[in-house]
Amino acid sequence: MKGISKTYPSGAVALRSVDIHIKPGEFVFVVGPSGAGKSTFVKMLFREVIPTTGKLFVDGVDVIGLKPEEIPFLRRQLGIIFQDYRLLNERTVYDNIAFAMQVIETPYRQIKRRVAAVLDLVGLRSRAGDYPGELSGGEQQRVAIARAIVNDPLLVIADEPTGNLDPETSRDIMKIFTQINDSGTTIVMATHDKNIVDSMEKRVIAIEDGYIVRDDAKGVYGYEPEH
Amino acid sequence: MSLSTKEYFVKETFKSIKRNQLMSFASVSTVAVSLLVLGMFLLMVMNANNLAKYLESQVQISVYMEDSASQNTLTAAEKSLKTMPGVTKVTSITKTQAMAKFKQRLGDQNRLLDALGEENPFPYSFDVQVDKPERIAQIVPKIDEMKGVETAKFGQEVVEHMFKLTKLLRMGGLLLVFLLAMATLFIISNTIRITVFARRREVSIMKYVGATNWFIRWPFLLEGMFLGFAGAMVASLVLIQIYLALQEKVYATLAFFPLITAWPFLAYLSLFLIITGTAIGAAGSCIPLRKFLDV
Repeated sequence: MKGISKTYPSGAVALRSVDIHIKPGEFVFVVGPSGAGKSTFVKMLFREVIPTTGKLFVDGVDVIGLKPEEIPFLRRQLGIIFQDYRLLNERTVYDNIAFAMQVIETPYRQIKRRVAAVLDLVGLRSRAGDYPGELSGGEQQRVAIARAIVNDPLLVIADEPTGNLDPETSRDIMKIFTQINDSGTTIVMATHDKNIVDSMEKRVIAIEDGYIVRDDAKGVYGYEPEH
Repeated sequence: MSLSTKEYFVKETFKSIKRNQLMSFASVSTVAVSLLVLGMFLLMVMNANNLAKYLESQVQISVYMEDSASQNTLTAAEKSLKTMPGVTKVTSITKTQAMAKFKQRLGDQNRLLDALGEENPFPYSFDVQVDKPERIAQIVPKIDEMKGVETAKFGQEVVEHMFKLTKLLRMGGLLLVFLLAMATLFIISNTIRITVFARRREVSIMKYVGATNWFIRWPFLLEGMFLGFAGAMVASLVLIQIYLALQEKVYATLAFFPLITAWPFLAYLSLFLIITGTAIGAAGSCIPLRKFLDV
């Protein structure tokens, strides 16, 4: 990421000439007050938000220069996790995860095998036939994580994944993220959760008012909890 | 595209139609009604066309000879009529034949002719048929100039009126068809819009996990095409029944009326309606999708 700026059409400036390099296999927290540009930062990585200026490469791919028909292939390299899980409520846990493989046209047999494996990883094998509505928040987020990693992404992007969860559940979720990271997957996580950031001792990038104000290899949250 | 992907598309399509039963039914009905009207218009225009053509082919020039014309002049006139470009048939009608024909036409009233006594007021005449109606305008003046010819007449006005009517029907029909097509397009695109809206979450997740736009589009496209197709099928079936019933009526009462024979005419018409319906369905589903795919 080089010289990245983002100005929204409304005139709001979210990022100001940001230079960041994230190495493969890193676990990076993006922190900062609400509205500081965290969300913009992570959304740019999967090209939901296009920077106004600058250059952005993900795994050597020039994200800004992508043609519309190339975007899906960038996203297949990424696993995206949201605060609100974004599961399909009329599909079972299994189908929610398999869906991510179906839509990129993975052969059926491969889907079955791989979904079983990620369900094991997130500890939800026994809930495969349940619907999201029957699960707790933490379980739903685990399904979302399973869906994000089912296609073996290079980079997992999580936007406030523990924002709706209690501290204990959050810790469980973070264990799963650690496991994913240990297997070599890069993780970029925007978060508000002081406890998590402080306990993990990972790289922390702090954004304030569109500027990078801190970038520590073993950083701390550094703000007062907002809630 | 793998088999399981195709299966997925078909399943998604029918799931969505089932979920949206009422709206799907409304779309199919609208398509059916629109295409039915379109089909009726096509039937009318094509039959009017057919009738005009029929009348056109009936066009003949009646050449009335002068009473003073000698047998030689008559023979010469017949000969030169036959050699004129575009003339396909020349039939001569003698004074006596003309009289007999008229008598026949008068039927019970033929005693009226008694007043004429021995006199036969009918001229010797030729019926001249030409290959193309456009020729008539050039031929008639030439015939008029021929020796022994009193006058040459033809049923120009009827044919011209018929052509004007057909033209009008065609123009009006085209306009109506266009409006109906737009209405159908609108209804289908609204149905698909509702479907897409109901599934916008799914669409956005598909985008996040890297589905291509075409992959997302297919089920909606199939749904639109299916709605159009189903509506067209209904319209075709109804239209076929109507036309067959009409044909029976016409044959029973107006046997000479040149109605286009039902088959294969109706098969072509149905095929046309089905293709049109399906195409409109496809187009209708593309319109709302454009907006939603832009994530």
